[in-house]
Amino acid sequence: MAGNKIHSAKKRRFINNTIVHVILGILAVIWVFPIVWVILTSFRAEKGSYVSTFFPQSFTLDNYAKLFTDTTILNFPQMFMNTLFIAICSCILATFYVLAVSYCLSRLRFKMRKPYMNMAMILGLFPGFMSMVAVYFILKALGMTEGNLIKLALILVYSGGAALSFQIAKGFFDTIPIAVDEAAILDGCTRWQIFTKVTLPLSKPIVIYTVLTSFMSPWLDFIFAKVICRANADQYTIAIGLWRMLEKEYIDSWYTSFAAGAVLISVPIAALFLYMQRYYVDGLSGAVKG
Amino acid sequence: MRRRSVSVLLAGVMTLGLEAAGLTGCGSAGEGKESIRLMVWSPQNDQSKDNGEWLQTMCEAFADEHPEWDITFVYGIADEASAAGTVSQDAEASADVFMYANDTLTTMTDANALAKFGGKYREQIESMNSEAVLDSLTMDGELYGVPFTTNTWFMYYDKSVYTEEDVKSLDTMLEKGVVSFPFVNSWYLPAFYIGNGCTLFGDGTDESAGVDFGGQKAVDVTDYLIDLESNPNFRIDDLGSGIAGLRDGSINAMFSGSWDANSVKEALGDNMGVAALPTFTLNGEEKQMMSYAGSKAIGVNPNTDNMVAAVELAVFLGSPEAQRAHYEMCGTIPCCTELTEDPEIGADPVVMAQNETFLNTSILQPFVSKMNNCWTPVENMGKGIRNGSITHDNAADQTEQMNEAMNSDGI
Repeated sequence: MAGNKIHSAKKRRFINNTIVHVILGILAVIWVFPIVWVILTSFRAEKGSYVSTFFPQSFTLDNYAKLFTDTTILNFPQMFMNTLFIAICSCILATFYVLAVSYCLSRLRFKMRKPYMNMAMILGLFPGFMSMVAVYFILKALGMTEGNLIKLALILVYSGGAALSFQIAKGFFDTIPIAVDEAAILDGCTRWQIFTKVTLPLSKPIVIYTVLTSFMSPWLDFIFAKVICRANADQYTIAIGLWRMLEKEYIDSWYTSFAAGAVLISVPIAALFLYMQRYYVDGLSGAVKG
Repeated sequence: MRRRSVSVLLAGVMTLGLEAAGLTGCGSAGEGKESIRLMVWSPQNDQSKDNGEWLQTMCEAFADEHPEWDITFVYGIADEASAAGTVSQDAEASADVFMYANDTLTTMTDANALAKFGGKYREQIESMNSEAVLDSLTMDGELYGVPFTTNTWFMYYDKSVYTEEDVKSLDTMLEKGVVSFPFVNSWYLPAFYIGNGCTLFGDGTDESAGVDFGGQKAVDVTDYLIDLESNPNFRIDDLGSGIAGLRDGSINAMFSGSWDANSVKEALGDNMGVAALPTFTLNGEEKQMMSYAGSKAIGVNPNTDNMVAAVELAVFLGSPEAQRAHYEMCGTIPCCTELTEDPEIGADPVVMAQNETFLNTSILQPFVSKMNNCWTPVENMGKGIRNGSITHDNAADQTEQMNEAMNSDGI
């Protein structure tokens, strides 16, 4: 009797697991489908934007080669380096802003703290590109819409608003016991030393998260780059370059290279994530030991 | 000398630009050579090394012709279709000379971003071009640019399937082979409606006349399109399926413009045929398909500091010599009468088809502001027929709705 029960419970679990896994499998296929398709397209030898088969008939590396050799119409390597430079600079700046602001709001008490947080909340409700034309004219008044200063302009645009998105990092800092700070003060630490020597080492996951998000937004942004770069082709970022490849004059000969470009832009993000994800492990474990 | 050139300008150019030109004229008078800076925007294609840097070559030739100026050229990238957006965003900080598509004319004039051509310059432009091309750049009697190419679509076909006689009628073509048409693209689909007498803004310039895509004549076309869509030899060209079909042989004719010429040549080789638009048979009568046609032109920014030089450069870039170089280096189809009649260039089938379409089987694409309301309803008509929601039963009703939507300002 008892053996039967165990048997049927096992059987039921097996059936449940099978159903769950089949559903998960189907969802995984659906989710991965577009990515697989882009990767397949980037290796496709047949030209053009439309094909009647899902799998390419023949494969080639020419699409990647074209991005780096055929630079007279669309200079992909230059756009790639532009974007990388802008993204790295604004990533460093934005990460610093976010973490510093979050730390202040979490640990310090000052008169404007509450009003600042309310203001940030309300400003955060509006989409950033609402102000793009105003931002453009401000940058123009500062003389930053021509030549290499465009890069500086874009870095400022991407990092300038960072201090408004402190909520997640502040929430994380709030969970670190104040007692840790107090212990550091007793040992003679200044606020800056507490921030760099105590809080940051304890907050690796949120630091990583901030670095990743502040790298990705300039890396993928299209709208501000478009408004600010205008006709300065030597300052274009990848997003504008990829968009241009889909214009009617270029789409037929550039479509497969567009897919190759799409694969390539995911490389730095993936590399950054792979390198940093090992710090995602429990960040607080160090504090308890001491 | 400078005084005189300024006074010639007085005849034509806008006041704003004039002030600027006058100011520079005074500022640097007295020196032997005036140094000026001209910003020029064109599509990337015109500046690519593969195509011999047409724009740079032309600008240097222009500088050689004008030793009185010491010109520094600054080049930027803006293709004709999107130049209007970029220039009107901030006309003051835009190029002095740029290229634009004529359907964006009102966008630019509304933003005070386009100078009028007058006096001897206008005469010079008028002497080089046909009436039809000039009309595409004229608004309220004022000329706004130097045309350098026409812009329309026509037909590519496979010569091994069709004879030159076959391609005159869409119905014959559908019997003998597979035809693909951008059915869900509202730049193409109106060809059938216009062919059966539907009109846009009177002759295309009278905004108050509105759109007439209603009545029995339009319903007949909708019925025809429903049948066409279900024809087994008809394929909808969407997202590049037409050119892909030409490549693998599953499609024998498609409709597109000069930008696809190289791809079609590659796909069909010696069998590449190009022709103006065919006729279609509606209720037993032959009707001519009519495409939208426009032009691309070189415009001058009224905010330029060097109005005379900018206008001179624009005229130079649109001159027959520059157009010939443009054709030879970048494949841009010329539009000035001297070159379209040139035996060598005129014999190019693509040039021939484009010019024939422009002159005979097209209407001038209206550039009045209300034209902006006309794109989505037509596209929805094509999509509705494709997905089967528009049938013979509700064709009259749906056509009327399309007409209403085209005439309304609502979204």
